[in-house]
Amino acid sequence: MNVFSNMKSSWNAKISSYQALDSKDKKTFWKETLINNAMYILILVAIIYTQAKNSYFLKPDSIVNIISLSAANIPIACGIAGCIVLTGTDLSAGRVVGLTACISASLLQSVTYATKMFPDLPVMPIWLVILIAIAVGGLVGWVNGFFVAKFSLHPFIVTLATQLIVYGCLLMYIMINGNNGQPLSGLDQSFKDFVTGSHLSVAGVPIPNYVFYAIVVVIFMWFMWNKTTFGKNMFAVGSSPEAANVSGVNVMKTTILVHTLAGCMYGITGFIESARIGSNQAGTGLNYECDAIAACVIGGVSFVGGTGKISGVVMGVFLLRIIFVALQFLSINQNLQYIIKGLIILIACSIDMRKYLVRK
Amino acid sequence: MKKKLLAVVLCGAMALSMLAGCGGKKEDTPAADATAEAEAGDVADAAEATGDLSDANIAVFYYTYSDTYISSVRTALDAKLDSLGVKYQNYDANNNQTTQNEQIDTALAQGANILIVNIVTSGSVDASQAVVDKASAKGVDLIFFNRAVEDDATAGQVLGSYDKCAFVGTDAPEAGHMQGKMIGDYLVENFDKVDLNGDGKISYAMMMGQLGNAEAIYRTQFAVEDANAVLTEAGKPELEYFDPTNTDKYQVDQDGAWSATAANNYMTTNLSQYNEGNGNMIELVICNNDGMAEGVISALNDKGYNLGTADSTLIPVFGVDATDAAKQLISDGKMVGTIKQDAEGMADCISIMAQNAAKGAALTDGTDSYNADAEISNKIYVPYAPYTGE
Repeated sequence: MNVFSNMKSSWNAKISSYQALDSKDKKTFWKETLINNAMYILILVAIIYTQAKNSYFLKPDSIVNIISLSAANIPIACGIAGCIVLTGTDLSAGRVVGLTACISASLLQSVTYATKMFPDLPVMPIWLVILIAIAVGGLVGWVNGFFVAKFSLHPFIVTLATQLIVYGCLLMYIMINGNNGQPLSGLDQSFKDFVTGSHLSVAGVPIPNYVFYAIVVVIFMWFMWNKTTFGKNMFAVGSSPEAANVSGVNVMKTTILVHTLAGCMYGITGFIESARIGSNQAGTGLNYECDAIAACVIGGVSFVGGTGKISGVVMGVFLLRIIFVALQFLSINQNLQYIIKGLIILIACSIDMRKYLVRK
Repeated sequence: MKKKLLAVVLCGAMALSMLAGCGGKKEDTPAADATAEAEAGDVADAAEATGDLSDANIAVFYYTYSDTYISSVRTALDAKLDSLGVKYQNYDANNNQTTQNEQIDTALAQGANILIVNIVTSGSVDASQAVVDKASAKGVDLIFFNRAVEDDATAGQVLGSYDKCAFVGTDAPEAGHMQGKMIGDYLVENFDKVDLNGDGKISYAMMMGQLGNAEAIYRTQFAVEDANAVLTEAGKPELEYFDPTNTDKYQVDQDGAWSATAANNYMTTNLSQYNEGNGNMIELVICNNDGMAEGVISALNDKGYNLGTADSTLIPVFGVDATDAAKQLISDGKMVGTIKQDAEGMADCISIMAQNAAKGAALTDGTDSYNADAEISNKIYVPYAPYTGE
C-alpha cells in the first residue's frame, strides 16, 4: 500500500515537472526517453515483426522455450554481473562452466552406463554434486579475486590466465580413467529428472525444473546485492575503490567475495548445463562468458562500475535470448546473424555509455 | 574420498601445467636432451643414415585437444609411440592455424625430424603448403593426418610438391555418402513409421558442425543427396527441409565447435515451433557428428521422444564418429545410426609411416592394407564404416 502511494506521488512529481518544461525542453525530454529506451523499443519491434512473420513465435510452446533457454543462462550472467560492477570482467566463466559440467556429469553417470568414467562409483547424492560443482567454481573464483585484489591486476589478465588453466584442467579431467576425451553422457535418470523434469505445466507445456532454480538464484542474488553489507560494499568498491577504502570498506575482502560468488554461480550453471545438454566434453561452456557479458551490458550493468541491477541482468538475458530465438524463427542467414548480434551489443553499449557522457 | 581424488587431480593438473609451461606441450621421454646437440638441418639425414628409431624426434600437432574424435586418435597414437619407445612431443593448436605454424617453427628449432600434422585450416592449399615449405626447408619428413590438406580442385598440388610427405585421412565425402545411404535405406524400410503426420514426405533437420570446413560441407551435402537418391530409386518422395523459409537448409554451430550445446539449443527452439501438436513435427535429424546428435537427442528426450521405451516415438537421429556415447544411445534404441571413424586404424597407419620415416624408407611402405588414393599415391585413406549397433 505504502509502495503504491509512493509510486503514485513520484509519478505525480514527474508529470508536474514535465508540465513545467517549455516546448523545446519537452522535445528534448521525448528524444532522451526514446534513445534511452531504444533497446526496449527495438525488442518490441522485433517481437511484433517476428510474430507477424511467424505466428508460432508467441505460442505457449515458444514462450516456455524462450524462458527455459534464458533461465539456463541466468546464473552465469548474475555471477559475471558482479565482476562488471567492479569495473572488471571474467573471461574464465565459460571454461569454469565446462569444468563443473564435466565434473557433475562424471559423478552422476548411471551405474549401468557402459563407458562410465568412474565405474565403481555409485550414483552420488545430487545435493553433494551441486556442492562440489559450486565449490570447484568458487575455488576458481576465489583465485581470480585473490589475484585481482592482492596484486591489483586487471581482472581481464587474471581471468585470461585462469581461463587457460581451467581449460587445461578440463582437458586432463576428461582424459582420466581411460575416458580419453570421450563425451561424458549416460546421465542417471534421477539427475535428468531433477534438472530437466517438470512439476508444473502452463497451457499444457511443461516448465522444466531448472527455470525454478534460476528463480531461486535471482532471488538470492537480489538479496545479496540489495539487502546485505556485502552488496553495498560491492557497489562502493565499483564506484571508487579509493573512496570505499577511506570509508572503511575492506576492498580486498569485497573483491575476493564478488569473484568467489561469481565462481559459485558458474558452478550452478555447469551443473544445470550438464543435465540440460546431456553430453559434456572439453568444448562445453566455450564462449558462454560472451553471451553473459553481453546480457549484463544490455541490461544496464555498466563497465563504468558501481551501477547495475539484478532485474537489469535478468532483462538483458531475456532480451538477448529473444533476439537469438527470433533470428532462428525468421530463418535469418547465419552470416547475417553474427552481424546482427554484433550490432545489438554495440548499440546497447553506446546507449549505456551515452548516459555518462551526457552527465559530463 | 571422492573429494580427495578430485583435489589430487586438480593439484596434479596445476603442477603439470606449471611444469609444461606455455603452449600445452607434453614431454613424454625422460631423455629430453637427446638431440640438443643436433642442428635441425642435418637431423633427418642422421636418422636416415642409422635407420634407428632412437634418433627419431617426432612432433605431433593436433588441431585441437577438445575434439572428441581427435582425442581418440591422440590416445591411440600416444600408446603406439610409447610402445615403440620413440621420443615425441604433442602440441595443441587450439583451433588456430597461426598458433600451429608457430609451434611447428619451435619444434623444428628444437630438432624435430618427423612432423605429424593435423592441420587446422582444412582443405586450404595455402595453409598446408606453408607447412610443407617449413618441412622441406629442413628436409624433414612430414605426415599429415585427418584434416584435408587440399580440396578436389587442387588435388595433388601440395602432396605432390614434396617427396617426403604423405597424408593419412579419410576420404572426406565418404562419410556423407555413407550417412546418406544409411538414411535412405532406413527410410525406405520404415517410411510410414517415420512419416508421423502422414503427408507422404519426410521433413528433416540438419545440424552442421562448422562453416567452411570441408568435412562438414561434404557431410551436409551428401547425406541429403544420397538419401534422396535412395528414396527416389525406391519410388519415394525426396526429403524436405522442415523449415521452408530457411534457404540454407542447415543450422550451424556458430562457434564452429560441432557442439552438443549448439545442436541442443537449436533443437529445443525448433521443437517449440515444429511439433506433433502443430502437425509439422521434424521427422528426421541428420547431424554432422555424434556430439550434435547427442544434443539433439537430449532435446527430444525432454519432449518425450526417443526415450528408448516401447511407448515413446523414435525420431531417427543420425551422426558420424561412432563415439562410445553414440554406440550406447544406439544400443538403447535412442539413436539409429552413425558412421565409424577408425581412430585406432588411423593411429596405426600414422605410426607405420613414422617408423618408415625414422628408418629412411618411403613413407607409404607397408600401408597396402589401407586404401590409397587413385591418383595420388601418398594419400592414404582409412575407411569409414557404417554403424547401426553390434
